[in-house]
Amino acid sequence: MDVWQQFIILLEGVPITLSISLISFLIGIIIGLPLAFIRVYEKEVGFVVDAYEKIFRGVPEIVLLLLFYFGLRAFLPSIFGSAFFVAAFVLGLRSGANQSQIYRGAIRGVGDEQMIAGRSIGLSKWRTIWHIMVPQVLNFSTAGLGSEYALLIKDSAYVYVISLVEVMTISIQLAHIPPGDVVTPYVLAALLYIAMTFPIAFWLDKWGNRRKKKIGL
Amino acid sequence: MADFVMEARHVYKTYGSKNAKKAKQADTDIYVGAKQVIEAVKDVSLQIRKGDIKLIFGPSGSGKSTFLRCLAMLDIPDKGEIYLGDECLTEPGVDLNKARARIGFVFQHIYLFRHLTALGNVELALRQVLKLPKEEARKRALDALTEVKVTDCANKFPAQMSGGQAQRVGIARALARNPDIILLDEPTSALDPELTGEVIDTLRDLAKEGTTMLIVSHEMPFARDVAEEMIFYDEGKIVETGPPSQFFNAPSTDRAKQFMTRIINRTTRE
Repeated sequence: MDVWQQFIILLEGVPITLSISLISFLIGIIIGLPLAFIRVYEKEVGFVVDAYEKIFRGVPEIVLLLLFYFGLRAFLPSIFGSAFFVAAFVLGLRSGANQSQIYRGAIRGVGDEQMIAGRSIGLSKWRTIWHIMVPQVLNFSTAGLGSEYALLIKDSAYVYVISLVEVMTISIQLAHIPPGDVVTPYVLAALLYIAMTFPIAFWLDKWGNRRKKKIGL
Repeated sequence: MADFVMEARHVYKTYGSKNAKKAKQADTDIYVGAKQVIEAVKDVSLQIRKGDIKLIFGPSGSGKSTFLRCLAMLDIPDKGEIYLGDECLTEPGVDLNKARARIGFVFQHIYLFRHLTALGNVELALRQVLKLPKEEARKRALDALTEVKVTDCANKFPAQMSGGQAQRVGIARALARNPDIILLDEPTSALDPELTGEVIDTLRDLAKEGTTMLIVSHEMPFARDVAEEMIFYDEGKIVETGPPSQFFNAPSTDRAKQFMTRIINRTTRE
């Protein structure tokens, strides 16, 4: 099999890799934003957020994937039987813990004054968070979110342990085809991963900087 | 009681670390280590009628801003009562968001919402707090921007405006929902001297229309022209209250006399 053929076969894994990282990124936003605001503005329950972050940042992704896939499948086979779902879900939970920390820094950067101004016009705390803080926090976080997305693309490679067929899994399979060219598939996979991570992180950072300049953050 | 738009009764507010606060309550010492308890508001009472324009002035760090924030319940007083019309805001269970919607607040450092245009800044409360339909909110927001003469900035973001424009948008934001009273916390002191004029002119216009205002400010010519009452505030207390003529001619307390001398000298030097 020549390099080109290998490359074409690898490309078939790209949609799965991209969709896992995109979905887990979105799950991460949905989890991370509330966690960050709870941590900053609801101090009494901040320890729950702390525990969540410690667990999901402390346990290796492979362990989490195996735990959720093989552990929870016994209880909820309809949900956790799907390797794709488990992959996106687990990476999303982990990303939520990471993103929570990114947003927490951004909340400090945006500043408490914006919160006070929001309260002064009659908005409740959580409505101020939604209308005033969230848009600015997202603007403020773009650089961090870019690297978080890159991290997710890379971490999606771990899902080969639950036999989901994406770029990593295919490159391993290619490397095992006799007579055994073990270098080319991995080099191609590496190039593909760079191509998937770099543009998005770069674009997010650039867009964020333009936006930050505009609103003077 | 319904005579007053807003009333403060024996309001107290203290700042400091938790330990320091405890020590203070135990009446031991106001110092714990290097941490100092700041008594920003000590037994302050004040009444404002509809159409009143009152001006608070005094040394920086004396607690004027804290008192103003207490009135809007942006800082919760330790003790005492705040009334907005007949409603006691310091009572537990009061819907403070509803109350704050009836109080306009203008900040020293402006605090416009940075991600929204001038129009967006003014519209937000109309849409999200008063729940007005889109067209009506837009119309009222534009009216408010017209009133403070910044319609040309309607689609600009705060970072693209001058300080004076931004502060006038800040005033429009407070004004647009027709609040019972507008509280202004040193609206000009963060601005370049040449920009204070336009903001002061805006405030003069509001005064002419009979807007109820409580203003923390050291703009003495403005105070003399528009304030019905001046309140000299120092070390967390109201030291002296009276019409501008009293302060400009013969303040009755020594502290006010000293302060007036200093501030008038400064103004003439400029």
